[in-house]
Amino acid sequence: MTWRRHLAWLGGLAWALGGAPSFLRAQAPDTLFAAGVRAYRSLEFDLAAWLLRRDLSKPPTAGAPIAARAEGLVYLGAADLFRGRRDSAAAVFRRLVMLDPRYRPSLLVFPPEVTNLYDGVRLQTKTVVVVLPRDTTIVPGPGAFGIWIIASSFQLVDVTLRYEDGAPFRPLYSGPIGDSLNVPWDGLDAAGGLPAINRVVLRVASRAPTGELAGIVQVPLDLRLSRPDTLPLPPPPADAQLLPERARSGAAKRAVTGGALLSGVVVLLPAVVGGTDTQSGPRVAVAATVGLAGLLGYVLHRPGRPLAANVRANQALRDAWKQRVATTTAENARRRRDVRVAVRANEPTAIQPRGP
Amino acid sequence: MRLRLGRLALALAALGAGELRAQTLRPTLSASLVRARVRSEAPAVDQFSGSAFLGEGTLAMRRLQLTASYLQGTLNSDDAFGASRDLVEGTVLLGVRTLDWLTLEAGPHARAYTLAGGTQRWIFWELRARAATAFVGSAVRGYAALWRVVAADVNVPESFDHAQGGEAGMILRLARAPLEGRLGYRIDHAVLGGGTRLETVDGVVIGVGVVWH
Repeated sequence: MTWRRHLAWLGGLAWALGGAPSFLRAQAPDTLFAAGVRAYRSLEFDLAAWLLRRDLSKPPTAGAPIAARAEGLVYLGAADLFRGRRDSAAAVFRRLVMLDPRYRPSLLVFPPEVTNLYDGVRLQTKTVVVVLPRDTTIVPGPGAFGIWIIASSFQLVDVTLRYEDGAPFRPLYSGPIGDSLNVPWDGLDAAGGLPAINRVVLRVASRAPTGELAGIVQVPLDLRLSRPDTLPLPPPPADAQLLPERARSGAAKRAVTGGALLSGVVVLLPAVVGGTDTQSGPRVAVAATVGLAGLLGYVLHRPGRPLAANVRANQALRDAWKQRVATTTAENARRRRDVRVAVRANEPTAIQPRGP
Repeated sequence: MRLRLGRLALALAALGAGELRAQTLRPTLSASLVRARVRSEAPAVDQFSGSAFLGEGTLAMRRLQLTASYLQGTLNSDDAFGASRDLVEGTVLLGVRTLDWLTLEAGPHARAYTLAGGTQRWIFWELRARAATAFVGSAVRGYAALWRVVAADVNVPESFDHAQGGEAGMILRLARAPLEGRLGYRIDHAVLGGGTRLETVDGVVIGVGVVWH
């Protein structure tokens, strides 16, 4: 009777997969998983195991949630357990622990036989999952970059950063881990300098308490240093901006020639306007005073005389330029110190040791 | 003739009228002592000399300026037995600064001598050209002016022939105060009756002025 029912199920399923329209075939994975869960709930564990194993045998699509695969595995493991295949169930649960060490079967859905077996497998399986920000920028320094490691069970871990060829770049942590551990990285290499390479590999090696290597998780990290652009130094004052610091000959010549010309005009004014018999004494006195003023002007504006006001103005201009240079230099020094490291985490890979 | 002078003054005003908009007035006041000397040949020669007070004021607005002056003093005859005469002069000139250093002015120039027998009045309508520029830094400016009488009204027997005059000197401006000092020489020469009467007034001007910038 039971095998007839199984046969009917399989016939219906074959129709569903082979004869159904193409839009139904597109939903086949969901259908297999759902059919498997329904079979499990109907206590048809063989059918459930067959459907779920078929579902899980399909390569995971990119971006498929881990939770969906984890659900499939826990139902498959439970189905195998109830089929009397305990080893197979343990193997399925081991796959589940490797996939997601944080996963715990629902106590409301699965009976204690299942959860106990799962917990037993989890305690024996030493693996970790590494949680990193996908893309971040850090300022190198203590605690700049946090690496969150979640363990399936108590174990020993070696957390190291390595060159791509496997050579050690920077050891980060070596020791026990219970449930989870936050391992900080300051963004620097072993010598305390900025990383001179573009890629390192974060490697977390899990070991059993006995020291036996249980597995390795590696996450390639792309590194990129970013330094703010420095400012150009301000140019010194152009010659056109500076005032002459020595008197030129123009003002002195102007004083002498102007005084002489004006003196001549004063002296010759009566002749120009036609005045006759005017007293020359007062006129000559005025002309002489004007001429004297011109000579005095020549002395005051003699060529090469230091122009104190211009010297002060130029000095103020140069001081302001020096101040700007000092400010820019300090700002550039600050910017050179302000180095940031962009860290991009790639897809992790897990390596399992070959069994004996 | 007066009508033509009036038109000339109006033309000068029109030249500067464009500058009137929203400009600030720059007044200048000065007081001077003039050591004046008057020589009159008609044909006998009479010479007078003495000190006179000269007050001048200028109101400038960009290129347009209005200048008024008043001079008063008593001149004594150089002849020991001659009588003294009071001299009063006044001018009102409207000018336009056509170049930075050149100003053209026009206006009346009145002069009166108070004599024992009455008052001798001279009214000149003058056209002036005045050049001024700094020649010792910006502190000392030299100036020279020439004027020509284009019309006159004189209450003397001789008919007016022609007259012209000039002034030259320097103005010292203080850098940190709105004060200026002035030293100049001026002369007027008038010819009447075809040369039968010559009138020459000259003098040295020493003054102090106040300038508002």
